[in-house]
Parts: sequence; C-alpha cells; structure tokens
Amino acid sequence: MVQTISHGSGNKIDRTDPALKPRLRRRGVFEYVAWVVCGLIGAGVLVSVSTNPNFKWDVVAKYFTYETIINGLMLTIFLTVASMFLGTLLGLGLAIMRSSRIKPVALTAGVYITLFRGTPVLVQLIFWFNIAALYPNLTIGIPFTNISTAVDVNAVMGPITAALIGLSLNQAAYMAEIIRGGFSAVGKGQIEAADSLGMSGATKMRKVIIPQAMPSIIPATGNQFIGMFKETSLVSVLGVAELLQSAQLIYARTYETIPLLIVASLWYLVMTLLLSYPQSLLEKRYSRATSSLPRKAKKIVLTEPEGVAR
Amino acid sequence: MSNDGTIHARGIRKSFGYKTVLQNIDLDIACGEVCCIIGPSGSGKSTLLRCINGLETVDSGVLKVNGEDFGYYETDTAYHALSPKKVAAQRTRVGMVFQQFNLFPNMTAQENVMSGPVLVKGTHKKQAAERAQELLASVGLGAFGDRYPAQLSGGQQQRVAIARSLAMDPEIMLFDEPTSALDPEKVGEVLAVMQDLAKKGMTMVVVTHEMGFAREVSDTLLFMDEGVIVERGAPREVLANPKERRTQAFLKQVL
Repeated sequence: MVQTISHGSGNKIDRTDPALKPRLRRRGVFEYVAWVVCGLIGAGVLVSVSTNPNFKWDVVAKYFTYETIINGLMLTIFLTVASMFLGTLLGLGLAIMRSSRIKPVALTAGVYITLFRGTPVLVQLIFWFNIAALYPNLTIGIPFTNISTAVDVNAVMGPITAALIGLSLNQAAYMAEIIRGGFSAVGKGQIEAADSLGMSGATKMRKVIIPQAMPSIIPATGNQFIGMFKETSLVSVLGVAELLQSAQLIYARTYETIPLLIVASLWYLVMTLLLSYPQSLLEKRYSRATSSLPRKAKKIVLTEPEGVAR
Repeated sequence: MSNDGTIHARGIRKSFGYKTVLQNIDLDIACGEVCCIIGPSGSGKSTLLRCINGLETVDSGVLKVNGEDFGYYETDTAYHALSPKKVAAQRTRVGMVFQQFNLFPNMTAQENVMSGPVLVKGTHKKQAAERAQELLASVGLGAFGDRYPAQLSGGQQQRVAIARSLAMDPEIMLFDEPTSALDPEKVGEVLAVMQDLAKKGMTMVVVTHEMGFAREVSDTLLFMDEGVIVERGAPREVLANPKERRTQAFLKQVL
C-alpha cells in the first residue's frame, strides 16, 4: 500500500497513494456502548444458566433422547406434514373458489376463510374434539333409500383425528389466502393472452397462472410449515401425546418441569433450524429479482446478435 | 359466399359504469383488408379491438366476426351468451397481439408459439414444434426458439407474440398498439413482420400511432375520438386532407 511518490523537486515522501486508501466505516459512541452492554447481558445470562442447579442439565441430557420424547417428536412431525398436506390441498381449492366469478362460490370460500382465520386455533381444536355434542350420530346413506350406516361420532373423533382435522381446516384458510395472493400477482395481460388463444379455464390455471404464482407461494408456504410445526404443540390440550404432551406426561410424574420443557423446546428449536435452511434456499431461489427468468434459463449467456425481421 | 375473415359491426355500444366508451360504431371489414385505427388515448379504439376478440363484451349492437355473431347467439327477442367453450372456439379464429406482448414467461419462445395448438387444439407436440419453428423463422427468429421471453428484446418478444397468434391459424389478426412499448429502433422490425402479413392477405385491424405504417400498409383508416368513429376513408386521403375539425386538430399534433 505504501508507495513512494516523487515530486518534481526531487524530495521523496513516503505516503499511501490516496486512490488506494481504504474507506473506513464510522463507528459512533453508541456502537461501542452497545457492544459492552449486550456483552454484559449475554455473559450474565450464560453464567446464571450454567450455575443455577435448578436447570438440571443432567436431567435434560437424560430425557433428550428418551423414547417417549422421540415418539412424541415423531407424532409432531406426522401432524405437521399431514395437516400441511391436507391444508394446502384444501387451501388450493378454496383459493380457486375465492377467485371464482360465480358469486355464491366466492362468497362461500370467503365466509370459510373469515371464520377459520378469525377464531383461535386452540378454540377450533377443542371444538372439533367435542363435535359429538353437536352431532352425536353421523348417518352415511344413499338418499331416498333405506341403505345407510350410522357412525358414533364420539368413537370416530379421537384426539388425533380431531387434531388433524382442526389443524388442516385452519391451515387451509391461511393457505387459501397465500395461494390467492400468488394468483393475483399474475398479470392481467397473461390471463388475456391465454383467453385470446382460446384456453379453457382449467388449462389457463394449470399452464399459465399456477406456474407463475409459484414463486410467491412457495416461500410463504415454507414459513407456514415452520409455523405449523410449533402450532402442533396446541393439540397437547386434547391429550395427544405429541412432543409437548410427552414432556408434560413425564414431569407430571417426576416434577422436573423446567428440564423437560427445555427438552421439548430444544427439539422445537432444532427442527425449526433444520427447516429454516431449505426455507431460506427456497426464498433465495424464488426471490423477486431473479424470478423473471425460469431457473433452467439462467445459464444461457446473451452474446449472439439479435435476429432481424425480413 | 364465405364470410371468413370479415368483421361486421352495426350500432355497437359499450360502457364501463356511467362512462360510455363506444357508441354507434358501424364497421365493415372485408376479407384481406387492413384497417388501421388512430386516435387519442381514451378514444375507445383499444376497447373496440378488445370487443372483436371477446376480451370485452359489447352492451348492444350487432357484431359479426367471421360471419358469426361473436360470443352470443341470436333469437327472436335477444342475444344469449354462448358457452365458454364455444366462445373459446370463436376466439381461436381471431389472433390478438398486445401492447405489452404478454408472452408466457415460464415458457420458451417455441413453447409460447406451441402453446395454442398444443393446449387448445390438441395438436401433437412434435408437429406443433415443427410449425412453431417455421413461424419463428418467418418472423426472423428461427435461432431463438429456446430463449425465454426475458432473454429477448422487446421487438423480438413482440415478433414471438405475433408468431404465437399465427400458430392458431386465425382468419383475422388484431394488433393493439403493437409497437408502443418498443424503443424506436425496434419498431421497424415489428412493422416489417406486420407488413409481410398484410401482403399475404391476412385481415388485420391495427390500433397504432405509427402514421407511416397506416399510410403505407392499410386499406382503410379510422379516426376515433370519444367513443365514436369521427372520420374514415383511404389512409392517404384522411391523413392528407382530413375533413373533420377534430381529425385536423389531432393530425396537426402527431404529424
């Protein structure tokens, strides 16, 4: 960096060429204060957590891979995947209904979305668990005939079924809004172009609207997935032995409440971090700035001369 | 006598809410005729074009495209809307080229051109690909079939859009300000393709601000303002000796 620059007179002065000098960021007083304060807080928390014997880290370690906990984790994963899958399918249907030109269809979807987004999931879960109070017997039959079977709703609506139905139906309402948002991001001109070629509604949806809506739907769906993973802890109120409930069952017996809650929290944290990575990849891939080109097209370099009309 | 490639309109009226955008439009375009529509923005020229393709429906009046009532069937008392399937079938016979090209960004140029035949007419993919290649070559883009729209210039995109419309073998082609979104350098290449098409005998309705193109290529010229056709005639005549005051004022501004 240091260069010798000779001046006309012949004096030689050692100094850095101004063009090569680095430009330094300004650090205010606040920045130094922030380092010190945050560092102190961090150290305080760390010391407290590691020295307080009530955390019982040995108990945490013991139960971290305990069979009941792992089974609970598996059930949590199952509930997440299953309710996201069902919720997305139903949500797609609702989104298509919501954008329908036929008023009653759009209105039905609208009412559904309002109801399920406007009430707490916890309430919905308890509601589905107790649905038998409203409809004790479900009769499945062919109209105008005597062929029918009665089903005892109480027997069918076990805790896991109620959990799955509650989470899926709730998720569907959110997914419907995400998917509809994606649809409306597709330009009006695209739909007109498809119309002018004489495409049918279904073809238009499949080949024009959905492929172009994906870039805005996929990252949001990833977020929902992570959210759903944590949301499943709510179904513990129904007595479903998912991750949180498994932890609760153990500490109800051993009174080691805090260590077991830490075990559950650590698993939620680990899974969320594991899911965050693919989520951030998805977000990058579908980020607005680069989505104008389909993925496979990005390798092609524009070097050839332009074609000229005859 | 076949009415293919003709447009016949009588007393067309169209309004958006309280605003009347088209009134009392009479139009007769013969097969192979090239008709240019000029006029200030908001004069209803694009709406008229969109009605001929069914992107808008007219409120009243007679509109026959290719000799058939467009989008409706006539009974003694009223016009009844046709099923979407039948409207789609009528639309395949009328090609539309948009100001903003509206190519499908998720498909290559060739896939764009193939989209109509394959997805709507059910043409075999291989056959459609060959035809698409021919059409792309005819608009000077034979080597650009595997490019995505985002990798093409505006002029190239618009030529692909023309090829995409032509792939449906329409009897009529509608152009809605096809060169307005292009930089001046690229206007010529699109106009050249259109001129070529006119020479081949395609019925064309072109909404444009390109007075040179209107003069050289069109058979009839319409000047529209505030939803009515103010003046019509041979392009050289209208452009050189406009009879109406409004036309004179407009041409003074643009020429």
